[in-house]
Amino acid sequence: MRPYLSIQLAGAELWLLADKAIYYPAERALLIADAHFGKAAAYRRLGQPVPHGTTDDNLQRLDALLASYDCDRLIFLGDFLHAPESHAAGTLSAIQAWRDKHHGLGITLIRGNHDKRAGDPPPELRMEVVEEPMFLGPYALQHEPDPHPDFHVLAGHVHPAYRLYGRGRQRLRLPCFYVLPRVSLLPAFGAFTGGMNIDRAENSKIYVVGDGAVWEAV
Amino acid sequence: MPKAVNFAKRWFAERGWKPFPFQKEVWAAVARGESGLLHASTGAGKTYSVWFAALNQFARPAPGPTEQKPRKRKPVAAPLSVLWITPMRALAADTARALEVPLQDLQIPWSVGLRTGDTSSSERAKQGRRLPSALITTPESLTLLLTRADAQATMSTLKMVVVDEWHELIGNKRGIQLQLALARLRQWNPQLVIWGLSATLGNQEHAQQVLVGDRGTTVHGKVVKELIVDTLLPPSIERFPWAGHMGLRMLPQVLAEVDSCSSCLLFTNTRAQSEVWYQALLEARPDWAGLIALHHGSLSREVRDWVERALKEGHLKAVVCTSSLDLGVDFLPVERVLQIGSAKGVARLMQRAGRSGHAPGRPSRVTLVPTHSLELVEAAAARDAVNARLIEPRESPYKPLDVLVQHLVSMALGGGFTPDALLAEVRTAWAYRDLTDEEWEWALAFVRYGGLSLTAYPDYRRVEPDEDGIWRVPDARLARRHRMSVGTIVSDASINVKYWSKGGGGGSLGSVEEGFIARLKPGDGFLFSGRLLELVRVENMTAYVKKATGKKAAVPRWNGGRMPLSNELADAVVEKFDAAARGDFSSPEMHIVSPLLEVQRQWSALPRKDTLLAEVLKSREGWHLFLYPFAGRHVHLGLASLLAWRLSRDTPLTFSIAVNDYGFELLSATPIDWSERLSTQLFSEDELLADIIASLNAGELALRRFREIARIAGLVFSGYPGAPKSNRQLQASSGLFFEVFKQYDASNLLLTQAQEEVLRQELDVARLEQTLSRINNRTLDLHVIKRPTPMAFPLLVERMRESLSTEKLSDRIARMVSDLEKAAGPEVMT
Repeated sequence: MRPYLSIQLAGAELWLLADKAIYYPAERALLIADAHFGKAAAYRRLGQPVPHGTTDDNLQRLDALLASYDCDRLIFLGDFLHAPESHAAGTLSAIQAWRDKHHGLGITLIRGNHDKRAGDPPPELRMEVVEEPMFLGPYALQHEPDPHPDFHVLAGHVHPAYRLYGRGRQRLRLPCFYVLPRVSLLPAFGAFTGGMNIDRAENSKIYVVGDGAVWEAV
Repeated sequence: MPKAVNFAKRWFAERGWKPFPFQKEVWAAVARGESGLLHASTGAGKTYSVWFAALNQFARPAPGPTEQKPRKRKPVAAPLSVLWITPMRALAADTARALEVPLQDLQIPWSVGLRTGDTSSSERAKQGRRLPSALITTPESLTLLLTRADAQATMSTLKMVVVDEWHELIGNKRGIQLQLALARLRQWNPQLVIWGLSATLGNQEHAQQVLVGDRGTTVHGKVVKELIVDTLLPPSIERFPWAGHMGLRMLPQVLAEVDSCSSCLLFTNTRAQSEVWYQALLEARPDWAGLIALHHGSLSREVRDWVERALKEGHLKAVVCTSSLDLGVDFLPVERVLQIGSAKGVARLMQRAGRSGHAPGRPSRVTLVPTHSLELVEAAAARDAVNARLIEPRESPYKPLDVLVQHLVSMALGGGFTPDALLAEVRTAWAYRDLTDEEWEWALAFVRYGGLSLTAYPDYRRVEPDEDGIWRVPDARLARRHRMSVGTIVSDASINVKYWSKGGGGGSLGSVEEGFIARLKPGDGFLFSGRLLELVRVENMTAYVKKATGKKAAVPRWNGGRMPLSNELADAVVEKFDAAARGDFSSPEMHIVSPLLEVQRQWSALPRKDTLLAEVLKSREGWHLFLYPFAGRHVHLGLASLLAWRLSRDTPLTFSIAVNDYGFELLSATPIDWSERLSTQLFSEDELLADIIASLNAGELALRRFREIARIAGLVFSGYPGAPKSNRQLQASSGLFFEVFKQYDASNLLLTQAQEEVLRQELDVARLEQTLSRINNRTLDLHVIKRPTPMAFPLLVERMRESLSTEKLSDRIARMVSDLEKAAGPEVMT
């Protein structure tokens, strides 16, 4: 079992983590896409019952990642909050408690389409909020997967998933990292997010995650 | 107050007609204030039997103009007196015409109106002020009427409810919706007279019990007339396919039949199949353009109306249709009925046969068109079963909580409710007669808190008691959304299909399921509404298309097309195989299929009444087991899951499962010694329920079932038509909900319901138990085969598959990734 897979991308080393995030060792940065905090709360507000636990789950997984990988900064590649209704007391106080445990950590949010509708997180969370792209090493960090003329783009937004087929007519659908020549996509981090199937393009690599491991799907 | 008049006697006498005895029986029963069920086939005069019963009992003649008060204008029509429930919108307009005829002839001051999903908003507004004397509506629209705050007042004058085609409603959740609505109406008026009209069912007592309770009257209508079932035979069996369901190989023979008669209906089993056949007929006979038409439930109403009218007026030579033309309206000119592929059930076949030969003295005739070889056996069996009148029963679903939850919100809108009174009322509906206090409390908590009160969801409040303890919907936005979703009890999220035009306003063609459009890219071709179309763009729940030429076309697939072969028909099929094994081929179908059965016998064996045929095969794909219990696809799925679970309990394994109506296949990618593992313990009836539930957790079935439940219970909402895109941020798939519930709220009763519905309906546990005990009385007849036999082949090529796994996810991924690597690597000769 390997909880991460190290790859070379645009001249730097990235670790693709089994828990649907990227660790960038040279910058000691953890990259997270599409956390969609408060999505369940927004649904409940509109009369659709979604159970509790998704926020705690997300925060516990973040804790585990921060404990396992030496991080100076945490960067959200957009869609941190799901909707205006996500500014719910329960959700925000849980995130605040989590934030207070990691007071030394620098946190940046690159605004995604959901963030623009939801509004920026409250200042008490001490998050730096920026527009895309944000440059880091050889990468342009973005929410939307539009190519950049000079930098390799790391982006979210798509929630990529890949269908594996095997002998005996078996198949499995798994979240994945999707690496293209100029743009690479992260899987959605949030516990209450869906996925979109991708078809493999030429010159691409797909890394599926499942059961605490990362696999390259040839 | 004018006196009651025997309108029936007068009207029949004026025409010189003599009422049938069963009609008089209904008139007398209603005159005594009784409810009941009338069994009669279509076109037997059942409409007028209940309609005149209502008029005799509840209508009064218009007061004639008198000297003092000369009549200036039409007298005001009587207030709402009769509700006429029809399962299909398409039937409503025809019913209205039929009901209006005697009103005009007899000068009865009653009005007739429609209220269905198709009713215009101006008509609705008019009805909002005053409902017609007789309102024709669907179960969904009735529920919507009951969500009006003044529902009780508007329904206060109601005297009688007629449920047309009750056999089409009793077995599904729309029927449950109706049971709940009737419970409410009966609560308001205990004297309410309720009559069901039903085709013959295998369990008529049950149908009556569910609709009107213990005290109903049973009336039997005219007996079914003579029915002829025959088969269109392929010229020879050699070139006839072993599998497949489109059946185009029979196109030349079907063309000849259509050519030789003046009008015929071609019934297909799925909308996709009807599209493909319509296109094939047109390609073969371009000169029939305008003379043949297509009819299925996803086409726009304008198209369907046009086809029905043209058919009635005798302008059409043939209509390719689905069950959309099973019901109602009599198409007098129809001369022949062809059924393409298996009819799946005896009742359905008889109903379709009854569509032809309405002329007096002519028998009804249905001609079966097999789509693959083994359907020849089924055709011979179907004739036997029809001749023996082995008609299937239909059962009401049992306390589905999703419909109850929906009903609670509806009632909160319809004037509000108090829990104790509503519980008593709900329990008078047959499906909920055993509803426990715990289930009731759960349903209340669900609409109030989103779950049990212990785990109350903040921010969530769909329904709440007000200061007087009356439960209401506090949020107008939620109220509007609920009304929108009441009608979606049967349909999946669908997307409108419209022609693209610059200024908008292109013509509407109908609707397809969202999932199908999602797989297409702009520029892709697909077949719909009998046309080859190209997708231009998708926006606001609408797929814009333009006409295409010469493109490779996809055919939309709609869910719900696959019903299982009935027990009755399955048993008849086994009889035919058994007879063949004894050398008896005494029907044209069996005669022509005999060489194929000989292949089956040589490579393996023919199934017998006292054996369970099993075939095992090793192929490049893996290790296959084929088993043929002949119990219908639902039971086979349950049985396959059960066996897969029991086989993989101790050794982790992953199976791919394919089922059809004759048997099922278990396929493993890792070695399995079938001959050794097929023991009697595998088929044991002990621990059956526990093992099935365990198998459900290891498979994907409950998730599939959850889709419908999530929609009805209001978890997923497909959006307002034409609503801006931002609403879509609030849409999650039912699959996502299922996963979240499973992980964070595993005791949620909607999950339990998904499981129970799989057990009850999908897998049919009672029938499965029966099948196991039958299997245990048979001898296992195991054959190792070198290549797929005629019976195995259709399973081998089946693409719709379920899977069940007890392996660790990481082991499965590792194997599939290594399969991929092997496939990608250099070819190795072995």
